[in-house]
Amino acid sequence: MRAGTLVRLALAGTRTDTARVVLTALSALLATLAGLAALTVLAIEKPPGDAWAESEQYRNALLREPGLRGGTAFALLMLTIPVLALAGQCARLGAPARDRRLAALRLAGATPGQVTRLAVLETGVAALLGTLAGLGVYLGGRELLHRPDAQGQLALPTDVLPSTGAVAAVVLGLPVVAALATGVLLRTVTTSPLGVSRRAGRERGPRPWAGVLIAGGLLTVAAIRPVLSRLNDDNDVLLRLVPLLLLVGGLTAMIGVVIGTGWISYTCGRLMRRYARRPPALLAAGRLMADPWAGSRTFAALLAAVIFGAGAAVLRAYFAAQDALDREQNQLAGAAGGSDPFYLSTMDLVDVAVAVAVLIASGGLIVAVVEGIVARRRAYAALVATGVPRATLSRSVAWQALTPAVPAILLALTVGTLLGRGLFGRVASSGSSVGVCEASAALCDDPATSAQYTRVVETPPVERVPDVPLEHLAWLGAGATAAVLVTVGVGLLFLHSSTALDELRAA
Amino acid sequence: MTQLQARGVVRAYGPTPALRGVTLDVAEGEIVAVTGPSGCGKSTLLHCLAGILRPDVGEVTWRGHRIDTWSEAARSRLRRTEFGVLFQFGQLVAELTAAENVSLPLLLAGTGRREARTAALTWLERFGVADLADVRPGEMSGGQQQRCATARALVTEPRVLFADEPTGALDTLTGEQVLTQLVRLAREQHTSVVLVTHEPRIAAYADREIVLRDGLVDHTGLGLDVPLAGGAR
Repeated sequence: MRAGTLVRLALAGTRTDTARVVLTALSALLATLAGLAALTVLAIEKPPGDAWAESEQYRNALLREPGLRGGTAFALLMLTIPVLALAGQCARLGAPARDRRLAALRLAGATPGQVTRLAVLETGVAALLGTLAGLGVYLGGRELLHRPDAQGQLALPTDVLPSTGAVAAVVLGLPVVAALATGVLLRTVTTSPLGVSRRAGRERGPRPWAGVLIAGGLLTVAAIRPVLSRLNDDNDVLLRLVPLLLLVGGLTAMIGVVIGTGWISYTCGRLMRRYARRPPALLAAGRLMADPWAGSRTFAALLAAVIFGAGAAVLRAYFAAQDALDREQNQLAGAAGGSDPFYLSTMDLVDVAVAVAVLIASGGLIVAVVEGIVARRRAYAALVATGVPRATLSRSVAWQALTPAVPAILLALTVGTLLGRGLFGRVASSGSSVGVCEASAALCDDPATSAQYTRVVETPPVERVPDVPLEHLAWLGAGATAAVLVTVGVGLLFLHSSTALDELRAA
Repeated sequence: MTQLQARGVVRAYGPTPALRGVTLDVAEGEIVAVTGPSGCGKSTLLHCLAGILRPDVGEVTWRGHRIDTWSEAARSRLRRTEFGVLFQFGQLVAELTAAENVSLPLLLAGTGRREARTAALTWLERFGVADLADVRPGEMSGGQQQRCATARALVTEPRVLFADEPTGALDTLTGEQVLTQLVRLAREQHTSVVLVTHEPRIAAYADREIVLRDGLVDHTGLGLDVPLAGGAR
């Protein structure tokens, strides 16, 4: 098949196919922006001087301080997780229509390899369009936002560019990864002239092995503090080992929670099947048991955001506790003030990032719920025709989403909290001995009299365990659950059209 | 006694007319076959009679009550309580077992889970598929699936069963077995059956055959005695 024909066939299709291509491109655009933003932060050059010399051309300390830039870039990269999950959900949108189109191509003489290449190309081309548009938005935005203030300081690093190689890696790498992922996913799919079949999964439900991953991740992160205390003088080792342990531990626990959602779905489905009295719960139970991994796929990005948010809540509680302790110690020493308020105010930015991540994850959830309804529209239409009320089907869809979501969100909150507590489990003040002069400034300033009026205040070393930020965690959990509810509500708008009798006629 | 009536039913899909004024009566316990070539409006007529579709013009009455003016919810309730509906394929819920599928209409009607399962097993037994009670549709043959679907359509002991090409996806022998069981059980229960088919062999099971052509009733008669248009019998 000629390349032109391949591209034309890859991008042909119905409105749903167009929606899938547009959403895939949009996801790639967002991922490109997040990736390029992270690379730009990393591209800020360290000014001459010691290792902690600040880049004074920026207003925000997150960009100015070299010690914070790594974390800022990491947070931006973390935003790509929900975006990539959204892309994954978009790839499933309109799958039945695409399957029929691919089967029709096979019937017309296309080989299995050719239809696989078509599907891979569709995703790759859509992602490439998205990354190119993302590059355009990035370059255009850079020009528009380059506005130094009266002191010549910039709000964003619009004066630096990542290396060409790094930009190319993002713009070309993302489509390649997207295309490869599609190819890997299609390995279990056989497209024949009579339709598309997927290799059936195991009949047995998921096993609770995810618990091992979660425990492993938590232990890895918990090992950071002992490592820090033992290798206190070896900064080079610390610099490499600590972020590695954090990344490996965090990711392992996160993967554990996502995989664990499959087990949660299956177990919830099994319990509901055993005890459900009403048809909505019975229908949902059947669906949860038949495809327990749907929960993992659907909620992956949301759960990642919740884990990140719970960890951030613990960090905020840590900073607040440290601030309170410093204030107490300073008060004892007759001084005022607490910790640097910068760290607490930075947590507001982290919370905004978590909210954005939940929002993007909700987009993926909507796509997943709608795709699930549309894919089963003939079965739903047949049930409605036999007298099953649409309200029963709506409740079934809601059960199906909420039953695994609530325990999975609780698990994510717990794991995020434990990860945070593993790192920031206690605040400490080393204690000090301070001379406090209790007289007028003139007497205190005079070396002859100051010793007479000065008393030494000893502040003992103190170590405290910060409170668990239950209120913050409750808000985060409620927000994530509300996101699921809203997405189910939006998805149900499609239920009415998907149960139209026309679906029965389209055999 | 007439259970179901259609009077001058007209129904179009956009500019394409499907029914152009069909009048029809179905008596209690009567088995009526609606036949005709593809696109003549057979399924549309069945959908109008079952309250799935509303006619554009004309009326459909059930035991003297005009149902085409009822709300969607009221017609759904009617289908759930008084009617049974059977399609060619795709009506079983893939994720539920055969017993769960068959008990679904009873659960919707408020029957307890245990009683619903008992009734489902009884009906699966009648159709000879009781051993598949805990098997999901994907693991059954087409004939087994259709037996389960028929059991589900009859489990509420409906007054009218609407069957749209119920054997269309089955081989001849299996189709005849399913239909024989369906007709026998319908007669035992005095259930009226409206059977849409394009196969004369299937129509022969009916008490009366109505042949549609281009959205109008072409012939009406008794079973095999009705000649198809063009004499292709």
